[in-house]
Amino acid sequence: MKLADVQFSDRERVVIARLSGEIDLSNADSIENAIAEATPNQALALLLDVSALDYLDSAGIHLIYKLREKLRARGQTMRLVIPPHSPANDALRLAGVARNIDTAESVEAALAEFSPESAPAQVPDPGSV
Amino acid sequence: MGGAGQNSHVTLENPHQREPRAGHAVLGPVEPALAPAHQVEAFARLSDPALSELGLEEFLDELLLRVREALGVDTVAILLHDRANHQLVARAAKGIEEEVEQGVRIPIGQGFAGRIAEERVAVFIADVDHADILNPILREKGIRSLLGIPLIVEGELIGVLHVGSLVPREFGQRDLAVLQVAAARAAPGIERARLFSELEREHQVAMVLQRSLLPKRLLDVIGVKTAARYLPASDEVGGDWYDVFELARGRLGVAIGDVVGHGVRAAALMGQLRTALHAYAMQDYGPARTLELVDRFVQAMPDYAMATAAYAVLEPDTGEVQLASAGHLPPIVVGAGGGRVVDITPSAPLGAFSYGRVQEQELVLRPGETLVFYTDGLVERPGTPLTDSIDTLLEVVKGARSVDDLCRQAVERLVPVAGLRDDVAIVAIQNSEIDDELNLSLPADPKILSEIRLLLRRWLRHHGANDSQTLEITLAVSEACTNAIEHAYSPAPADFTLQATAHDDQLTFVITDVGRWRAPRGQDRGRGLTIIRAAMDDVEVESSDTGTQITMRRRITP
Repeated sequence: MKLADVQFSDRERVVIARLSGEIDLSNADSIENAIAEATPNQALALLLDVSALDYLDSAGIHLIYKLREKLRARGQTMRLVIPPHSPANDALRLAGVARNIDTAESVEAALAEFSPESAPAQVPDPGSV
Repeated sequence: MGGAGQNSHVTLENPHQREPRAGHAVLGPVEPALAPAHQVEAFARLSDPALSELGLEEFLDELLLRVREALGVDTVAILLHDRANHQLVARAAKGIEEEVEQGVRIPIGQGFAGRIAEERVAVFIADVDHADILNPILREKGIRSLLGIPLIVEGELIGVLHVGSLVPREFGQRDLAVLQVAAARAAPGIERARLFSELEREHQVAMVLQRSLLPKRLLDVIGVKTAARYLPASDEVGGDWYDVFELARGRLGVAIGDVVGHGVRAAALMGQLRTALHAYAMQDYGPARTLELVDRFVQAMPDYAMATAAYAVLEPDTGEVQLASAGHLPPIVVGAGGGRVVDITPSAPLGAFSYGRVQEQELVLRPGETLVFYTDGLVERPGTPLTDSIDTLLEVVKGARSVDDLCRQAVERLVPVAGLRDDVAIVAIQNSEIDDELNLSLPADPKILSEIRLLLRRWLRHHGANDSQTLEITLAVSEACTNAIEHAYSPAPADFTLQATAHDDQLTFVITDVGRWRAPRGQDRGRGLTIIRAAMDDVEVESSDTGTQITMRRRITP
């Protein structure tokens, strides 16, 4: 069993990387590289979803910072998807860095920021039932 | 005696072909009564029962040496019939080893040996220079005269045995008789060996398919011990398997199965089912759903297939086991107070019904208890009710000193000496006792970190820590161990130690390494120590020339 897994999906020009399992010193570098590789240059942003992580420590927090810097250098932004009650959030809280990263509580909330259709209010067509 | 002219060879009659060949001189029947003393001894040496005890290589080697000695010839060779290619292939030789080394192949019907094979007659060639010889090695060796006979078993051509002389020689009836004794001796042995090697190959294929490795991890440290055995049936391969693998969050999966039927097909099917079960299990489907998915997999197979299987997931922190069985024999639980058969209602076997439902149930393995799965080959004995056999199994394993000892005892005491009619698989998983104190020497390898966390969660639960305390303490200890591993930057493998002690509700952890506490590099580093200080009540870091020691304490009063 691999300690962690990462599952990728795309929504328009946003890449979603959903992490699961445990991240520590043994796998943080390879996961960081995998996510950087899987985010193409034309992508607007990366949503790093850590909601399903069972364990994250300083090695994982380091990964988040390094990844954010890498993307910033390419002109891309990163949002961390992290629910308030999750092992990942506990680690960030204990490390005292919870508020230093752009976060969202869910993938949908984070996507709304990047979706062009979500900007103007959706008006229902009065002709439709 | 065969008047071997310059351009002719003599065909000697073979017992398997009574009809005389036109154009060849045919010799009369053998008269063994006239054999002189030294030939009687040669016969005896060729008939030596001890030869049967040898493996094929040694057997052929010894037989050819004895033929050469008995006939006083210079070369002896055996070529085997390659049915697929309609050829003879040099298999063993004395005096003309090049034949075998070069893998000489002779088409049936051509040349000296090819003619013997096609016509199934003995052939004598008085002068090689003037005969139809295909194999250049015979001439290059300077062989002048040849005598060869077919090797036949139950009407089937097995190959050709021939002898050669470097000086012109008239081979006669007595020479032929000796050669025929050798052929009669060699042919069945070769045929048996050929059949045996096919069986052996089939057997090896099955063993490769069946071989299952227990996961490599510090299971002893974590507190779960596993052991297993697989024994093939004595004559045929079977479809039993077992599997043990790690799942997410430190849980352990244990599976066992038995494909209905025998032979290579059952073994191949077993390989597929084992892989399918393992793959579904890895997706965290849980025992019942995993078995249901394997059932659907079996249902979708083009040929009829059926199997029984059981699958369990153990949570090492609590000893809780989720368990499901598709028609498989009930597992047993063995502990200090004896053993019991797990009361399980098995669902239908895999492949038995469309969309069959598999039931799941729970049990708890207390520290020290062992869950044992096995296949019917271990307990099914003619004339004995299955329940009696399972009781015998319980009796046999209840005094086992370890999981490995348990598997060994079960196999040694229940498997008959005469061999098995069915294959056997047994796999045991023990929720071992939890030590009150931890005192571990660990390799400075990042891979050890997840093992440490598994062990620690189990230990913390044992001492009454709640979920959030367990999370925070595990995080702090893992951070301290990460630091110890990062310090060990010497090229040689290094160790560090972890001690954990509990006094009432006060837990103390000491992590010691032989490196220096490194100053945090960059603003992102040093978070480890921040986390440790936030998670524990008090933390001391002592750094010296010889190493660094972190001592941290945490009270777990609710």
